[in-house]
Amino acid sequence: MRTKEEIAPSGETLVHEAPRIRLMTDQAVDEAEQFAPGASEQSVAMPIEDGKVVFELQSLSCYYGSFRAVKEISLRVPHNQITAVIGPSGCGKSTLLRSFNRMNDLIDGARITGQILYHGVDLYADGVDPVEVRRRIGMVFQKPNPFPKSIYDNVAFGPRVAGFRGRMGELVEESLRRAALWDEVKDKLKSPGTELSGGQQQRLCIARAIAVEPDVILMDEPCSSLDPIATLKIEELMHELKQNYTIVIVTHNMQQAARASDLTAFLTMGPDRAGYLVEMAPTQKLFTSPDNRLTEDYITGRFG
Amino acid sequence: MESATHAEGPQYSVRRTFEEALDATKDDVLRLGAMVEHALERAGRALVDRDVELADQVRWDDAQVNELQRSINTGITALIATQGPVARDVRELLALYHAATELERMGDYAVNIAKLAQQLAAEPEIPILRQIPQMEQLCREQLRAAMRALVDVSEEEARAVCARDDEIDHLYNSVYEDTMSLMSVAPDKVRQATHLLFAAHHLERLGDRVTNIGEDVVYLATGRIEDLNP
Repeated sequence: MRTKEEIAPSGETLVHEAPRIRLMTDQAVDEAEQFAPGASEQSVAMPIEDGKVVFELQSLSCYYGSFRAVKEISLRVPHNQITAVIGPSGCGKSTLLRSFNRMNDLIDGARITGQILYHGVDLYADGVDPVEVRRRIGMVFQKPNPFPKSIYDNVAFGPRVAGFRGRMGELVEESLRRAALWDEVKDKLKSPGTELSGGQQQRLCIARAIAVEPDVILMDEPCSSLDPIATLKIEELMHELKQNYTIVIVTHNMQQAARASDLTAFLTMGPDRAGYLVEMAPTQKLFTSPDNRLTEDYITGRFG
Repeated sequence: MESATHAEGPQYSVRRTFEEALDATKDDVLRLGAMVEHALERAGRALVDRDVELADQVRWDDAQVNELQRSINTGITALIATQGPVARDVRELLALYHAATELERMGDYAVNIAKLAQQLAAEPEIPILRQIPQMEQLCREQLRAAMRALVDVSEEEARAVCARDDEIDHLYNSVYEDTMSLMSVAPDKVRQATHLLFAAHHLERLGDRVTNIGEDVVYLATGRIEDLNP
């Protein structure tokens, strides 16, 4: 497997290193350093030992107009791990996920309070370019949504927009290989992406997401429209991808979270219908002996 | 905190079928415990009363213990394979699986004691050391207490069971001393003394198996694996 430097040939800066954003937001960095974890009473922030933290949420609330969809969530997402977010419908999982790459900006009336630090940088600070944020933090959606273009162009689209001038053929191949799709499509790269099966389309979308060399891949129910075999393929793929990427996945399928993730965050909603974090723990721990009764009741199918 | 209001009130489960199967499994394990306790009581009586026929019954009835244990463990395997239990559910199934396995082994100890009763009955009679019926009775009390702890998922009761195993160990040491003395002063009774020592040894082992169930209950209640009979 090639490194990021090899994929972005010499002189090509597909990947802007963190300091470039950092320069824009010195203030955010200062604030980040002052952060004392465990400040909020509901905070169940994961202690991350000896590892890099990609996202650090500090009392994050997300609003749509006056409705608070997500309430005071504090947590940390570790580097090159798979973090799953589970919880009942309407508990704000997808809202939370979309806040990680400012996808909610596109929705009228959406705003946040609190902070999301991305490698220590406040994602919502003035001067942070949401387009650059979304390039670094890619997203794969519930329904596979390939462009009505050829398989090749689906993957090449992002790099072209980003001004990539290296060997495109190699980048496309590498991305398709990483998405475990190359062998199935190498002889029909000119065929429309929409002609692939659902599972292949979803892997094409993953190839498209990784072609721009992101740092993080967000997945919103990526397997909900796939059959069990295609689902297992995506889960295996996630396992391989985590060597190079940080993955955050929202899933309704608890067994999927149990099988495929390293850490699990359980959200539920309060009487005000705002989603909040109940518990976040290593997946094995959460699925064998969770600390919180609410987690236990939810994952075992008992609701109070 | 909001969570408190959620946790209270009647529980609604979307997994009634699974819960019924779990309850049925629990009942079966209790039944197995009762069968083993009955076997142990009869084996102890056969030993004291030199009752060869009673001992025979214990040996025959062990097939039922084995059959129930296999059925419990097969059922649990199927539940794990098909129902995807997690958290307390999976801990409970594993605890029940292990308890059934331990109970089956305890049944074998009862059979061993029944066999010793038959061998002793074929030898010239010697008085049964009083510690042996004491051990047998204590083992049954412990077994009942462990079964109660399992049903109630009572960590406290389980820890008490494990702590009380020392009493059985002391009685066993005392049997050991007495049988050694007997052998040195009465070499013609070495065979009988050895049978008695073995009977006490089986009871001591049985007591240890009971504490294993106690450890299972602690695991079920807390999610932690502890050695409570070091």
